[in-house]
Amino acid sequence: MKSELYYKSKKITLNILIHLFLISVAITCLYPLLWMISSSFKTQDIIFSDISLIPRHFHFENYINAWREGGFGRNFLNSIIYTASVVFGIVIISSLAAYAFARLRFPGRNLLFIMFMAAMMIPIPGSFVALYVLLNKLHLRNTPIGYILCMINVGLSTSIFLLKTFFDKLPKELEDAARIDGCSKLGIWWHVALPLAKPVLAVVVVFNALSVWNEYILALIIFDSRKFMPLQVALKTFQGEFVTNYPLLMAGLTITALPIILVYLFMQKYIVNGVTSGSGIRMKKLFNV
Amino acid sequence: MRKVAWCLVLGILLAGCGQGNQETDKSTITIWHWMTDREPAFQELAKRYVAKTGIKVNFELYAPSDAYAQKVHAAAQGATLPDVYGILGEKRDFASFVKAGHVLNLTPYMNDLLGSWKNRFFAKALAVNEFPDGNIYKVVPGIYGVPIDIMTIEMLYNKDLFKKLGLDPNRPPATFKEFIEIGKLLKAKNMQGLVSGWSEVWMIDCLANNYAFNIMGEDKVLATIRGEVPYTDPDWITVLGLFKEMRESGVLANGTVTMVNKTAEQLFATNKAVFAFNGSWCVNVYKGMNPVLNYAVMLPPKASDKHPMSIWEGAGSSFMVNARSKNKEEAVKFLKWLTDGEQQVYLAEVTSNLPANKDCLEKISPILAQFADDMELATHPNIWGVSEFPLVTETLDRGIQSIVIGEKTPEQVAADVQKVKEREQAKKRS
Repeated sequence: MKSELYYKSKKITLNILIHLFLISVAITCLYPLLWMISSSFKTQDIIFSDISLIPRHFHFENYINAWREGGFGRNFLNSIIYTASVVFGIVIISSLAAYAFARLRFPGRNLLFIMFMAAMMIPIPGSFVALYVLLNKLHLRNTPIGYILCMINVGLSTSIFLLKTFFDKLPKELEDAARIDGCSKLGIWWHVALPLAKPVLAVVVVFNALSVWNEYILALIIFDSRKFMPLQVALKTFQGEFVTNYPLLMAGLTITALPIILVYLFMQKYIVNGVTSGSGIRMKKLFNV
Repeated sequence: MRKVAWCLVLGILLAGCGQGNQETDKSTITIWHWMTDREPAFQELAKRYVAKTGIKVNFELYAPSDAYAQKVHAAAQGATLPDVYGILGEKRDFASFVKAGHVLNLTPYMNDLLGSWKNRFFAKALAVNEFPDGNIYKVVPGIYGVPIDIMTIEMLYNKDLFKKLGLDPNRPPATFKEFIEIGKLLKAKNMQGLVSGWSEVWMIDCLANNYAFNIMGEDKVLATIRGEVPYTDPDWITVLGLFKEMRESGVLANGTVTMVNKTAEQLFATNKAVFAFNGSWCVNVYKGMNPVLNYAVMLPPKASDKHPMSIWEGAGSSFMVNARSKNKEEAVKFLKWLTDGEQQVYLAEVTSNLPANKDCLEKISPILAQFADDMELATHPNIWGVSEFPLVTETLDRGIQSIVIGEKTPEQVAADVQKVKEREQAKKRS
């Protein structure tokens, strides 16, 4: 018979091992972030000669220079407009489409859904030239609306898939009750389906926001005018072919990362719900995160 | 919630109100480029040009270079290329742009006034932008690009570390034997030798070709590419054997074979490695990493006296004029002005790149001038007129990596490369 001490020490050892593992994972995740912040206060030569995380002298002017030289003001506003518009567009269109796929019976429904799913398999760079030529013909190239439409299209298929999976599992009785109360199909979508889909919508919002916020290649290809470019393009001004201005790049990255960290913090509760309700697991597979 | 939704809809509509400026303005020359580090200098030169001529020059930066290359390809498809742009990639990409009518043949402009424009450039820099008679791409012979700056790839050594090793800092090793001897000193003092970005295999290819030219001469190297000399030839075994000697002598720094160039640059700049094999762009890189770095340029030490040592040189960056542009005459005038001595010296001073204009070497920094000193020894695969199968080049470069880590012998690598060469030749014939 094993003593109580044995079980206690076994539990403590196991706890120590688990915590050590978790701490090492946390350090691995946090270290690059801390290095970024630390380097944003150093000078170019100090970054390469002093690897300590706490700089001896703090060069706060790096932030001012990054903001000014990168032309962050206009680009920052652009990124906010693009992210908000694209995410709004994706949420509305994908939830309507997903609800239709889940609840309405119409000819070619499965084929249409498969086509949407197939679109997920096409990597964005593969469609750059085609998109460019199409937008050019529609006179939408070098216009924000052209970029927003492209980005909505990019995020649509995955979001439809996530929401359809959720709506498939939604009890039909809820909708029947709403119908008895006089709700139209659109009314049921707005008053019943959407509020219930909040956890999945949070996942859709966060991951699409992240995707739009970090996107720059499509923007670079579609836009000619600097005034339309998003924030990420401004960051590239610090990264040359051979020479990178690390202090300004790191200051710029810190500025860029802040809004998206705030979005995560504000929506953390919903993301956890989304993950625990199952959609997150599928979402993780889809977004490969 | 409803108010927020309406605000967002309004946002989309307002965002969509912005109109693209796709119309070409006759008094504005639009130039697309990817050179982040040269952007402030270009903007300054644009200001000077508008003050001098009244013609506005609009430099538009699209970085990084891979995204820029995609944009240029897409714009070519959509016939929306700007007045002036650069083509990144291999010569065959350049040729496809020329054949599609996107690039203006600059030969008449270059030859104008007894070739005054043409003669100001380093011949090799111009050759990269030229398609000679009977070129394999079947492009109408001519000069299709204007080199703005150039680059050479050479060896560098740290003068302070040379002193620590008891060597004369003004006398770098001239022969391969002397170079290998330094390996013993490095081992004794536990110091790191040669660093280079050899995980990016093209740099290995570059050094291997330097020694191939030195040991067997250009004709034999090109004959090998044409398939007339096998890679199992004793001269090629000698070239591959040099890498084995470097490994055994300890003259290579630890991990060079898997090193990215950024790491190699950092090690050299922070006085942790005695030698580096790098391009002239490194002057700017080292200046940023360690402004007081005490170093000098040297030729790769000669392994043979039969033929001269060669180095790779390329057009660091070149601009092409859009043949369909309404502003092409103005664009050519601007490029002529940009490659004038004054502007070239300014670019070299601000960006630490080697100017393409050979007449302004006296006015550039001494370290940059050292890179330019060996220009007569320069060569580049783009001007050889023949090109090796990519798979053969890859097998050679990977093979050299195997030699450096002691996995394979030079003979084994030579046999592997020859096997791939024969397979590719057979494929081509069929």
